[in-house]
Amino acid sequence: MSDFAQPFFTGSRFYAADEPTKIPPEAGHEAADPHRKVENSAKVLVVDDQRLIADTLAEILNNTGFDAVAAYDGFDALDKASRFHPHWIVTDVLMPRMNGVELAIALRKNYPSSSILLFSGQAGISDILNDGYRQGYQFELLAKPIHPMRLIERLKQN
Amino acid sequence: MAAEFNQSAASTAKVLEFAEPATAPDPHQHLAALVDCSDEPIISKRLDGTIISWNAAATRVFGYQPSEIIGKSILTLIPPELQHEETEILRKLRGGERIEHFETTRMRKNGERFPISVTISPIRDASGRIVAASKIAHDISEGRRNQESLSRLAAIVDSADDAIIGKTLNGIVTSWNRSAERIFGYTADEMIGQSILRLIPEGLQYEEDEILRKLRAGERIDHYETTRKKKSGELFQVSVTISPIVDHSGRVIGASKIARDISDKKRVEQLLIQSEKLAATGRMAAAIAHEINNPLESLINVIFLARQHSAPESRVNQLLLTAEQELERVSHIARQTLGYYKDTGAPSNVHVHDLIQNVLTVYNSKMMSSDIAVDSCFNDLQKISVSKGEMLQVFSNVIANAIDSMKQGGVLTISARNVLSTPQDGIEIVIRDTGCGIEQENLSRVFEPFFTTKGILGTGIGLWVAKQLVSRRGGQISIASSTTPKSSGTTVTIFIPFAQPPASPEGELS
Repeated sequence: MSDFAQPFFTGSRFYAADEPTKIPPEAGHEAADPHRKVENSAKVLVVDDQRLIADTLAEILNNTGFDAVAAYDGFDALDKASRFHPHWIVTDVLMPRMNGVELAIALRKNYPSSSILLFSGQAGISDILNDGYRQGYQFELLAKPIHPMRLIERLKQN
Repeated sequence: MAAEFNQSAASTAKVLEFAEPATAPDPHQHLAALVDCSDEPIISKRLDGTIISWNAAATRVFGYQPSEIIGKSILTLIPPELQHEETEILRKLRGGERIEHFETTRMRKNGERFPISVTISPIRDASGRIVAASKIAHDISEGRRNQESLSRLAAIVDSADDAIIGKTLNGIVTSWNRSAERIFGYTADEMIGQSILRLIPEGLQYEEDEILRKLRAGERIDHYETTRKKKSGELFQVSVTISPIVDHSGRVIGASKIARDISDKKRVEQLLIQSEKLAATGRMAAAIAHEINNPLESLINVIFLARQHSAPESRVNQLLLTAEQELERVSHIARQTLGYYKDTGAPSNVHVHDLIQNVLTVYNSKMMSSDIAVDSCFNDLQKISVSKGEMLQVFSNVIANAIDSMKQGGVLTISARNVLSTPQDGIEIVIRDTGCGIEQENLSRVFEPFFTTKGILGTGIGLWVAKQLVSRRGGQISIASSTTPKSSGTTVTIFIPFAQPPASPEGELS
């Protein structure tokens, strides 16, 4: 089971059978308590050309004990990563100028210790993913929309 | 000529009786005139083959004037390679035999050969000795040509792939070719003389009235697509072309009907329409996915944040939580309907039972609340190389269906075992529920996209996706079900070979 310690739905873009997340009323409030910070808070770089998504997600993560920074395109992300050294990079896939896979490949080369999560709401990105795959790169992909609690669960796993 | 008188005496006696009272002509001249006005060549020859008489018809058919041919050998008329026939003919004549309707080939003056039917009789003198022969020839080129073209047409009709049927204007079958036998299942004996209505399904018999009405008006019916009935009762799709048959005076005397079995074509068309639908839906889904999923993501985040900033236990907090839960439902549907594209994860070696356990863990609480017991038996000792995401999807879809079918509780039985020695070695997974089962008429359609038995709660893509994924991995998925009360339930069997299928070109699910 060790291979599958993570919930089965992460990494799969097939959600045909999953259930809507049951949101416990206390979710989101546990972290509002400043004394319940996650220990040695993980640094997360959130990249999305939709600023509202990048900003809200970074804010939620910061509220939940992570140390999160938002970036709005690939170049912005590379710039911030060079100074911020994130443990996690969570990036959208379809972005102008530099797509999420190109960004992820550049980050993997420069910061091999960082973990990368792609997240996308767009079908038809398999060409982009296959480009990366052909170059020998494979990334975990989450489907948008994802409830922040689920993303946080995933980030807490490693 | 006296001999010919003897020869024809019997047949001409009546004529003579009529003629005699008036002018009583010389019987020899009379006979000569009769012979001369015959439409058929009449020739007489000695037993050595020398031609001694030649009538006008002989001149017309063979092209020789009497002056050219009388005194010549009969062999002049016989093609060199057939001249041996003459020896045989003469032999028979000497023996007193008559040769009737002997079909052979003769030669005209211009060298042209033509088919002919000859009747040759011995001619005797007063003492009864055979001294010559009369030969009545019948040019059969015209008849043979007609006969030949008729049999050629018959052969074409018989070897046609389409059913070709002749019928009267009352709808009675008059001819029935071999393909008609093959397509409809009735033999010619069974159909000729019967009503064509036998081939028309009950509900469509009005068509025949309309068809006959058009035919009587001399109209043709082209490529009319309809349904017909085989002897077995099976209905099938045909394209029929019906033309009136007219006699030489232009009167419609019947109809010929050419029917082509187009069931295969229809099936292909159906599939094409379906895949078009699918492609169109897929394009639409992809186009709107981005526009829906991103705002949904923002909205969920914003409401989540708003809730974090609201006072715990407050009315606002409660409302925001409800909003979040409703949004999660929308998200679930959006992911389900707009996100069915393939997992690009590379294959890895896994134990199938680990994947199944994983899915069961996810559904555990749901099964507990529905009073569903799980009975699993895993004997898959060998790891198998699969895309984890894809296989989780397959098991998850099938198990979700099983759970949905057991609203009143039940038992979910899952087994996985290594199967050796079948055409391929692999792992067979059997997932069985004791739920409500699937109606037989729906069973063949459950793997079709957008087909669902769950009403508005189903998307109709779960099993379709499962089948696509299993097939792409080179495996098989099959389903059996019963709706018999007390023993109802559904069994899904999935086989995945250890061997990887040959690499296929990149592409979306299709």
